[in-house]
Amino acid sequence: MKDTLKKEGITPYRSDELEIVKSVESCINCGLCIQHCPVVAAVGVNRFSGPRSIAIELSRSPPEFWATADTVYLCTGCGTCREICPKNVNIPEIVNMIRARIFEHRPDLVPKGLHVIREVISKYNIVFEPWETKEEKIESRDMRIERFGLPLIEDPELEQAEVLFYPGCQAEERSQEVREAAKVILDFFDVNFTVLDEMSCCGLPSELIGDYETARFLAKRLQKKVRKVDAKIVVTTCAGCTSNLSEISKRDGWGIPAIHILEFLAEEIGLEKIGSAVKNSTGFSDVHVSVHDPCHLIKHTSRQVMQNALNLLQQFPGVKVTESEANDSCCGGGGLVAYHSREIADAVVKENLDAIQKTGADRLVTPCPLCTAQIENNLFKSGSTVEVDDLTVFLAQRLPRKG
Amino acid sequence: MDIEADLLVIGGGMAGLVAGTVAAESGMNTVLVRKGQSATAYSSGAIDVIGYLPEASEPFITPEEGLTALAGLYPLHPYSVVGYSENVTPEKVVDAIVVRSRESINWLRNHLDGTIATLVGDYSTNIFPITILGTTKPTCLIQKTMDPGDVQEREDSTLLFAGIMGYPDFYPSAAAKTYLEDRIAFGLPPRKVAHCTVQVSPFGNPVNISGIEIARHLDHEEALDNLAEQLKEHVDKVGATHVALPPILGLQNAVINQAKLKQEIGADVFELLGFPPSVPGLRLQLALEGIFKKAGGRLLIGHEVISYLKKEDQLEYVTGKAPRREIKINAQAYVLATGKFIGSGLVGDERGIREPIFGLMTVTGSYYSAGDTLPSKATNRLSITPEGQPIYSIGLSIDPHFRPIQEDGVEWAKNLFAAGSVLAGYNYSVEKSGLGVAVTSGFSAAMNAISHVKEVS
Repeated sequence: MKDTLKKEGITPYRSDELEIVKSVESCINCGLCIQHCPVVAAVGVNRFSGPRSIAIELSRSPPEFWATADTVYLCTGCGTCREICPKNVNIPEIVNMIRARIFEHRPDLVPKGLHVIREVISKYNIVFEPWETKEEKIESRDMRIERFGLPLIEDPELEQAEVLFYPGCQAEERSQEVREAAKVILDFFDVNFTVLDEMSCCGLPSELIGDYETARFLAKRLQKKVRKVDAKIVVTTCAGCTSNLSEISKRDGWGIPAIHILEFLAEEIGLEKIGSAVKNSTGFSDVHVSVHDPCHLIKHTSRQVMQNALNLLQQFPGVKVTESEANDSCCGGGGLVAYHSREIADAVVKENLDAIQKTGADRLVTPCPLCTAQIENNLFKSGSTVEVDDLTVFLAQRLPRKG
Repeated sequence: MDIEADLLVIGGGMAGLVAGTVAAESGMNTVLVRKGQSATAYSSGAIDVIGYLPEASEPFITPEEGLTALAGLYPLHPYSVVGYSENVTPEKVVDAIVVRSRESINWLRNHLDGTIATLVGDYSTNIFPITILGTTKPTCLIQKTMDPGDVQEREDSTLLFAGIMGYPDFYPSAAAKTYLEDRIAFGLPPRKVAHCTVQVSPFGNPVNISGIEIARHLDHEEALDNLAEQLKEHVDKVGATHVALPPILGLQNAVINQAKLKQEIGADVFELLGFPPSVPGLRLQLALEGIFKKAGGRLLIGHEVISYLKKEDQLEYVTGKAPRREIKINAQAYVLATGKFIGSGLVGDERGIREPIFGLMTVTGSYYSAGDTLPSKATNRLSITPEGQPIYSIGLSIDPHFRPIQEDGVEWAKNLFAAGSVLAGYNYSVEKSGLGVAVTSGFSAAMNAISHVKEVS
């Protein structure tokens, strides 16, 4: 039986996929999603047939899912379609399901760029090739905190703590200032926190590649590490990690919540406490910012998370916020699209760039190191003078120095 | 993560956004929660008030005529309910209905003025705009971009239907033929109709293009200039006085584009009413969201109300669920504007038809309980008939304050109001009354909710 299925190229739906499959049945083929899909807006339905086609056509062609490869890898997974859908059709998850089946039966059709990441992940358990030596990593970190004007807060190296700070791969290996900024914030408010002895990916990239086995392996591996810390809560600075950790912690019964540092600040520390801490902080020039909402926070977690961001910014004197017309539009950096079709990812971000320019802000802030990198690179390439900061870094910079 | 508000509106279509805007403008702290977009965004973007009496084949000439007939024949129609305020004497009921409906439609037109969904038309008369099939339909207000001008009055007018290569929703030759046959049968202008096809290729290739792509493309000046050039050639060739385009004139710039095209080609240009989901429907949705936010309302997108707590006769709070968070929303009053079957305000299955959030009583168009009505029993075999599908008349029964009632005729909660297509007693698809009922009931529910909040606080 099992061999026949394999030969036929069929992977039976797992029980946790059934709800997603059932959601497809409620699609009424109305097409509202097409009007809002940022990839369709950027490249047209002839290139990317869009969420409706994924729901009503591509999801219903087992075992020939492979035939859909040129479309399903162009989805940035932003979740706009699911949020627009009057019937709650879970299109982003359908994309992952289809990708998983292509990965299993026709790995030759998985874009090469994704295989490259897959190999890195299976070798190092993180998405990026790690630094050659510990010293190099520290040197890079020190350069970055100097550039961003952050004090150095050493890793607590506690075996157990109330809060586990989980930076995610990007902040661990590349955007180290985000990891350092979070520690500055947690330390400032005397939070009893620690970090993992060794970073381990949450599994979201593997999920997006369609590498189900690795995604599960990483989730388990991380669960073991988290359990050892015995924390009451996991706090992260990455939007993708926030939604994925929320998902797997619930699914695998971690027994503790995983939240973004914005939620931690607004709900655990409290706006009032933050407000009075920064009320008299001096030495900062006034700044005019615009905020970008990461899809993984607003469309995969909850829009309320970004309300926290606005409330927090309000506490900081001298910070003026202007909303961009495309504040909740996908930056193109999701779904690992940029790893194989960079031109599509960069076409998607264009709408954001124009809208940011229109706000007249000097600075864009966003609570996700991936969005930060994608928007920063493209703004720079377009010749814009608007600077981009991860919101965690921005907040940490504007805290008074302790002691 | 709780949210506190004076008024919570559940549902973000026409009824909900009108109710929310009215409340926010009156100074109430108003939150609107929605789980997805629904029928308003899906609509043609025209505002019907009342087009037909069920089973009738002649359309009403004015909304007032229609509402007067409804008040007599259908006393429980949502429009009719407007007339049952305590301070309205029986002989003034019809006046009260007309006054409120006119007030709310004028309110909408004024609020949308200057937005991307600027409306034209007047409450005093129904108009008959042209659709992409070449037919006409009665409606009250249309978007400015759909205004056909005097094409249907001028004896010497020539109408050119212009299609777009690779855009599958509109066949200009078929529409031209249907429309002309209709006009000849009635002996009305225009006497001359022509058709042509032009190229608008947002991504370089004139194949497989959707309306939204064309609309976004035409928001750019060069694209519009190019279209004008092509149209001008055809207009000059046939001597067209008016040009009908599918509804794609732009998303942000449609109104400006219409004026520019007219100037450049020397003929009036307008959009035909299109199939769902149409670009004008999207413009309407976005413009309504805009006026709600401008009034100070807070739009909470992507949250589905999944549970509630009721204490005695008061709804205390509801819980909204996002993909990975749940949030408690606590308000003084609530407006339920969750729509019908598209928006899942009503759900029908083998057990019957129910209201899924609060489990409110559902009734048929004749006000029998619909809780056990199988959807298949409430549908005709013939899909399009003057009587329509009875299933569309199913919904909630309300008291004169627009509060859903229970089997005993008493309101389910003192602070829960309902508006829009979740209500029973009208069949929007045959009456052509969908968005009009949504506006008037949204407006009325908000007024009642506001006075409730003022009373209790």
